Amino acid sequence: MGYVAVSGGSEAIEASIRLLDYYRSGTDKDLDIETVAEKLSLLVDRVMGEAGLYSKTYAALALKQCEGCIEEAVFLLRAYRSTLTRNYYSNVLDSNNMRVVRRISSAFKDIEGGQILGATYDYTHRLINFEIGSEDAGALRMNVLEELNSQRPEEIAPCPRVSDELKKEGLIETVLPDKAEPFDITENLLEYPADRSARLQTLSRADTGFLSGLAYSSLRGFGGAHPTVGELRTGYVEVNVPYLFDEAQEIYLGEVLITEVEIFSEADDEDKLKLAVGYGAVFGRNENKAIAAAILDRELETGGPYPSQNEEFVLTHGDSLEMSGFLSHLKLPHYVTFQSKLDAVRKTRGGKA
Amino acid sequence: MEKKLVTKILARADRAEAANLAFKYKESCRIAVVREPSKTLAMLKMREPVKGRLFYIGEVVVSEAIVELDGVRGMAVTMGDDFEKTFDMAVIDAAINKGIFCEEEALLELGRLQELFEQRENAMHLKTMVSFNSMDQEVK
Repeated sequence: MGYVAVSGGSEAIEASIRLLDYYRSGTDKDLDIETVAEKLSLLVDRVMGEAGLYSKTYAALALKQCEGCIEEAVFLLRAYRSTLTRNYYSNVLDSNNMRVVRRISSAFKDIEGGQILGATYDYTHRLINFEIGSEDAGALRMNVLEELNSQRPEEIAPCPRVSDELKKEGLIETVLPDKAEPFDITENLLEYPADRSARLQTLSRADTGFLSGLAYSSLRGFGGAHPTVGELRTGYVEVNVPYLFDEAQEIYLGEVLITEVEIFSEADDEDKLKLAVGYGAVFGRNENKAIAAAILDRELETGGPYPSQNEEFVLTHGDSLEMSGFLSHLKLPHYVTFQSKLDAVRKTRGGKA
Repeated sequence: MEKKLVTKILARADRAEAANLAFKYKESCRIAVVREPSKTLAMLKMREPVKGRLFYIGEVVVSEAIVELDGVRGMAVTMGDDFEKTFDMAVIDAAINKGIFCEEEALLELGRLQELFEQRENAMHLKTMVSFNSMDQEVK
């Protein structure tokens, strides 16, 4: 493929960018950032996850700026993060002690700590509620806060992992914590075979649709996994870093909402005496993505002939920024390359005439 | 008080609450700014339960500041981009380090209210706890 520089068009490009404001304005009603962040929180979660940057406010702002386009919003956040220094690395997040808001298991009906449905659309009728179109937002908020304030406070207790119970029984392999520092895909080029830390980081910030489609292909037969969701847990996890003037102490920066999934499947070892586990963790309440990541983690561990089992296929093609960038570049002028294709077709036709 | 407890309360406080706790020290002490409040990133490290491997789940936007209060340093790092609050948190940290912070009780009361809010939220979530009844006696 050949490329050629072209000039001109700057006035049209400027007018095109101004025209975006016309499309973005839409109505004289404003969409404030807090409204987007708090009322479209699942969309915001998805953008934060695919950007690999946890900031509800900036994700909401990015969505407002680009008319709600997920890949543009991810692009804006990634571009912005690249302008910031990274002065801190957190202490290891303790997701065992997460403040759980949802936690279910499809493997066991009775689990220690209980199955907590939390806020889920799983059991809704999926009928459009036309009343929401004209609801009083202030009254709605007041009602839910009244309900909150009428609650009898309940101590927050950590929920043990379902897999820990199976580890105690020897049904899942128990491993010692690995002390090696993780690979960082934001600073290093991914190489294959990829380190497990690189795989999990890549899956965490991959495009939700890409992971879901691949995991679905695996479940439909183009792969080996037919897993059971051992545990799906969503909750708030504390972010702490060492205190600058006394590293023996830590300080609390805030908390992030994450979803973790462990899927159980048959082990691929000869004896089949243990269960195998796949793991996925993502920002926010993006649980289908977390399930898909866990399925793909397991598929990549076993390997095989299908796309979902091919490490390079899965880890290279799921990045929102890279995939949308590559597809977008097709919209740029390809006049010379296309002319050469056209010439080739004309020559062939000429030769046959 | 442990830094973790203080910062946990202040991080969850709103701007006005942090400003109230810092007000006295900003009025009565000489404050030099060592590092202006500014944005930076913190990379979040997690450990996965399958192989025990550490990995990065992503980054978070934080604000940081360092001040000197009558010659004693204090610092703050907190999620978000509220520079005023970050500055006030650094002032409070310096006041604690200097041993002149006397709003402990107010701070702890704020923490108790925050805990109460979370416990009430928790109660709403626990009401969604289900007990599935198996129709097959063999399923545990």
